[in-house]
Amino acid sequence: MDKKTVSTISYLSRLKLDEDNQDKITSDLENIIKFVDQLNDANVNDIEPLTNPLEKVAKTRTDAVTAENRKEEFLERAPKSNEDYFLVPRVVE
Amino acid sequence: MSIRYKSIKELSQMLKNKDISHPELIQETFALIEKNKNLNSFITLNKENAILKAENIDDKSPSLLNGIPIAQKDLFCTKNLRTTCGSNMLADFIPPYSATVIENLEKAGCISVGKTNMDEFAMGSSNETSYFGDVINPWGKNLVPGGSSGGSAAAVAAGIVPAATGTDTGGSIRQPASLCGISGLKPTYGRVSRWGMIAFASSLDQAGPMARTAEDCAIMLNHMCSHDLKDTTSLDENIPDFTSTINDSIKRTKIGIVKEFDLSKLDKDVVKVFEESIKHYESMGAEFVEVSLPNISLSVPTYYVVAPAECSSNLSRFDGVKFGKRSELASNLEELYINTRSEGFGDEVKRRILIGSYVLSAGFYDAYYKKAQQVRRLIKNDFDKAFKQVDVIMSPTTRGAAFEAGSKGSDPIQMYLEDLFTIPANLAGLPALSIPNGMIESKPIGLQLIGNYLDEQKILQIAHNFQKSTDWHLKTPNGDIS
Amino acid sequence: MTWETVIGLEIHVQLSTQSKLFSGGSTGFGAEPNTHVDLIDMGLPGVLPVANRDAFHKAIRFGLATNAEINQTSSFDRKNYFYPDLPKGYQITQMTMPIVGKGTIKIETEDSEKIINITRAHLEEDAGKSIHDLFEGETGVDLNRAGTPLLEIVSEPEISNAKEAVAYFKAIRQIVTFLDICDGNMAQGSMRCDVNVSVRKEGETELGTRAEIKNINSFKFIEKAINHEIARQIKVIEAGNSVVQETRLYDSVKNETRSMRSKEEANDYRYFPCPDLLPVVISDDELNEIKNSLPELPEQKIKRYVTQINLDESEARIIAASKTMANIFEEACEKTNDSKLVAKWLVGDVSALLNKDNINIEESRLSSSNFAKLIERITDNTISGKIAKSVLEEIWSSGDDVDTIIESKGLVQIQDETVLIKIAQSIIDNNPNQVAAYKGGKDKLFGFFVGQVMKETQGKANPKSVNEILQKLLS
Repeated sequence: MDKKTVSTISYLSRLKLDEDNQDKITSDLENIIKFVDQLNDANVNDIEPLTNPLEKVAKTRTDAVTAENRKEEFLERAPKSNEDYFLVPRVVE
Repeated sequence: MSIRYKSIKELSQMLKNKDISHPELIQETFALIEKNKNLNSFITLNKENAILKAENIDDKSPSLLNGIPIAQKDLFCTKNLRTTCGSNMLADFIPPYSATVIENLEKAGCISVGKTNMDEFAMGSSNETSYFGDVINPWGKNLVPGGSSGGSAAAVAAGIVPAATGTDTGGSIRQPASLCGISGLKPTYGRVSRWGMIAFASSLDQAGPMARTAEDCAIMLNHMCSHDLKDTTSLDENIPDFTSTINDSIKRTKIGIVKEFDLSKLDKDVVKVFEESIKHYESMGAEFVEVSLPNISLSVPTYYVVAPAECSSNLSRFDGVKFGKRSELASNLEELYINTRSEGFGDEVKRRILIGSYVLSAGFYDAYYKKAQQVRRLIKNDFDKAFKQVDVIMSPTTRGAAFEAGSKGSDPIQMYLEDLFTIPANLAGLPALSIPNGMIESKPIGLQLIGNYLDEQKILQIAHNFQKSTDWHLKTPNGDIS
Repeated sequence: MTWETVIGLEIHVQLSTQSKLFSGGSTGFGAEPNTHVDLIDMGLPGVLPVANRDAFHKAIRFGLATNAEINQTSSFDRKNYFYPDLPKGYQITQMTMPIVGKGTIKIETEDSEKIINITRAHLEEDAGKSIHDLFEGETGVDLNRAGTPLLEIVSEPEISNAKEAVAYFKAIRQIVTFLDICDGNMAQGSMRCDVNVSVRKEGETELGTRAEIKNINSFKFIEKAINHEIARQIKVIEAGNSVVQETRLYDSVKNETRSMRSKEEANDYRYFPCPDLLPVVISDDELNEIKNSLPELPEQKIKRYVTQINLDESEARIIAASKTMANIFEEACEKTNDSKLVAKWLVGDVSALLNKDNINIEESRLSSSNFAKLIERITDNTISGKIAKSVLEEIWSSGDDVDTIIESKGLVQIQDETVLIKIAQSIIDNNPNQVAAYKGGKDKLFGFFVGQVMKETQGKANPKSVNEILQKLLS
C-alpha cells in the first residue's frame, strides 16, 4: 500500500492521518489487506454474491405523505444553523 | 432482600410478591450503579425518568418485564436521551426518536436505567476503543469485558441490572457474554428491527438480549422482536414464544462439532472446558456429530472486507453538517469534513473506514468486496448443508477467557481473531448464543450454540437444559469493583 | 475540415409522487426550507429507507411508453461522495439492476425525424439544495428536496447537434407529462439535463474525449451550451491540444462553459449494493395493471380526436402537443359537448394569444375550468362569440373568472326578442333609403342593418336572433 493509495483513500473518506499516526496506520492497513488476501485462493466460479442473508423481496410503501414538519427539532441539533437553514462554510462550485 | 445478581424472573417475582416496590427496585439499581461506577459501564444515566416511570407504573401488568431495570447499549437511539455510540462524534447527540427495540421493551414495562458504554461505533472486541474510556470486567480490574457490548456485559455480570440490550455484528454480544460469564443471544438476522440502531454493518448487525440466564434472554427476545415496516430488512415471519419449548428434553438432539475449528490450536484449558460440556450434554442424551464447514477459515477475512465496506458508507453521514460534532477548524468545506471526521473518530474506526473505502474502490471492488460476498455465500451454503445433519452447532465462544487490557493493542489482527468462532453466524445470518460453561484461572468462559434460521427456540432449549443442570451461570465475581 | 458532434443526454425527471422515494416526506414544491424533511431524509443515525412503490409504477410507465425492457426485479446501489446537501454521504441509486432497460424514442426537428435509443432509465433519490448567495461566507442547506424520486433517463450517444438535443429533451418532456409521471415544470427544476459532448473529424469511428455539462434546465440553454462547447472543443483540438475529460458548468450570463473546480475527477463513487434495501419485484399482474391504465400518449390522442371527434389532423396535433392543452380541450369538451367549437377556440384564439406573448400554455393565466366555462357561456348563449373574444383577452391578462368578467362588464348577451325587435324596427324606421336599396336587390346591405343593431346594443345582441329578426322585418 503505497503512500499515494493511502492518501487517495484517506481523501475519499475525508480523513487525515496525523504525522505520528500515519506510519502506524499505513502499516496496519497493509497488514489487514495482506490478511484479507487469503480470499484470493477461494474458488468462487459461478457463485452469486450474497448481499443480504435474508434473500427475500423488498417490502415497499404506498405513496403517502406521513412526515410532519420537524424543522425546529432538526435545526436545533445542527452544529451551525439559522432559523431556516443548516449552515456550512461557503461552497464554491 | 438484595436485588444484586437477580434474574428477570426473580425480580419479577419479588415485585409481584411485593417484597420490593417498583420505586425501591429502581432506587437500589441506581445505588448499585453508583457503587460500581469504576466499571465505567454507563455513559449516560436516565435516573429521573426511570424513577418517574417506576412511581407511575401499572403494577397489574402481567408482563414479566414490567418494572424491570434494563441497561440499553448506547448504540440504540433513545428519544431525548443522549446517544453517543461510544464516540466523540456523537458525544452530545440527543436523538429526536427512539429505536423500535427500545420502544418495544419500554412498552413491555422495562425501565431503561441508562446507556451502556461500548467500543466506538461497535468496532472492537474489548471495549477499549470507546471515547468514554475503557470498561472494566467485573471479574478482574485489569481485564477487558470484551466488546463491543462491553458496558452491557459488565453491568449484567456485576449484578447491577438483570439484563441489558446489546448488538452483535461479528460477535459483539456473544464474545463479551463469554468473557463476563453471562448469557447473550444474537437472533436470526431480521428478527429484531434495526430501526433506530446506529448502523455499523447493515447486513450483519442484529440487536439481542444479554442476561443472567438463557431463559431471561428468551423473555427479553419475546419483547424485542416485532414486525416493523420501518425496517424492510426485518422478517415477516411468525414470532413464537421463545420460552415455550425451553424445558423440552434434548434427548437425541444432534449437536454438530465443526471439523475445521481446529481445537488443537487452542489453549489446553479452553479445550478441557469445552470437552467437559460435550460430556455433560452426552449425559443428557444429546448426540454429537462431526460436521464440515470447509470454507469457515475464510470467515474472518470475509468479515473484514464486508463489515468495513458497509461501515465506511454508513459512517459517511457523520460530516459535521447536520448533527453531531463539528470541528472548530472549519474555515472551508474540505476542512469541515476532514477535521470533523478526523477529530470525531478514533483510530479503530478510521482503520475500518479506510479499509472499507479501499475494498470498494474502483479496481479493487471485484477482488475484494465482490469476492468476499461470494465467499460469504459459500459459508452460508456450508451451514445449510450441515444443518441437514444436525440440529445445532456447538463451539467455544472465544479462544480464551478475558485478556488483559492493553495486551492486544498494537496488532489489530490479533484483536480480529478474537471473533473467530462468532463471525460465521453473522455472515450466514444464523441465530447464536453464548452461555457460561466453565472457569479458567478464576475467569469465566463461554459455550456457543449456533442454530438454524429462525430456530432460536432450539438453541435456547439446549442452553436452558444446560443451565438447569449446571451452575456456571450462577457464579458471580467478588463484590464491587473499586 | 468538417467536424462531427456526438452527444448523449442524461435527463433527470422528478417523479410526481406525493412522498419521497424512501420516506414519507412531502415532495411539494416551494415550501419553507427544511419543513418537508423526514427523519429518513435527514440521514439521522439509525434510520432506514423504505421504497415507494408508486415511484416504480411511474418509472414503468415510462418504460412501456418507450417500448423498453422492464426489469421486474431491480435493486438499489449506493453512490458514495460528500456534499453538504447529500445527508447520508451517499445517494441511493440503481447502478447494476435498473428498473427500465433499453428503449426508443422518436424525435422531430425542423428537417427530419430520427429514432434515438435509450440505454436505460433508473430510479434514484434527489439531493437537497445548497443556497450559496444568501449568507455572507456561508452556504445554506435546505433538505426539502432530499429524497425526491428521480428517474434518470440515459440516451445512447446518438444525438448529432444541438437542435436534435433540444428535440430529444422536448420529446422526453412530452412523454413524461402525458404519462402523468412528471409535471414538466422546468422553471421549478422538475427536469434537469446533463449533456455529454464530444467532437471528432468527419469519418472517424472512434469517439472523441467528451466533456459533461451539468444541470441545464431550459431548452434555450441546452442549445446554447452545446453549441458553445462544440466550438470550444474544436478550438482546443485545432490548437494542437487534447480535450480534457471533465465536468463543466454552463454559465448562462456569460454564455460559456467552465470547468468545475471540485476534484470530481478524483471522485471514485465506490458503488456497492445497498444492504438496507432488498430487491423490488414487480409481478406480472402488477405490470399488466400498469399497462392497462397507461395514460394516453400524444399519438393516441391525435388518433382519437381525428377518428372519434372528427377534428382535422392539424387541429388535433396542435391540441395534443402539450398535456396541458390536451387537458384543457378534454375538460371543455366534457362540459360543453361541442368539441368542434372548443377546438376552434384553442387552435385559433388561444394559440394566437400564446404566440403573441411567446409563452407556453402552462405559463398563461388560462385555467382549464375557466376556459371550459368560457365556451359554456357561448353555447348557452350568455355571450356571443364576438364578446367571448374580449372576455378571453380579459382572462388572459387578469386571470379573473369568466362569470365575474361578464357580470362586471355587463356583457350578457341580449336575447330578449321583444327588445331586439324593437331596436331592429327602430333601425329600419330610421334608415328608409337603405331599406329601399336592400329591397331593391342590394343584398350586401343586410350587413349594414346587422351592424347597426350591434352598435345600438354595444355588441351584446345575440347575432343569430338579430339575423332572424331582421330577415323577418325586411322581407
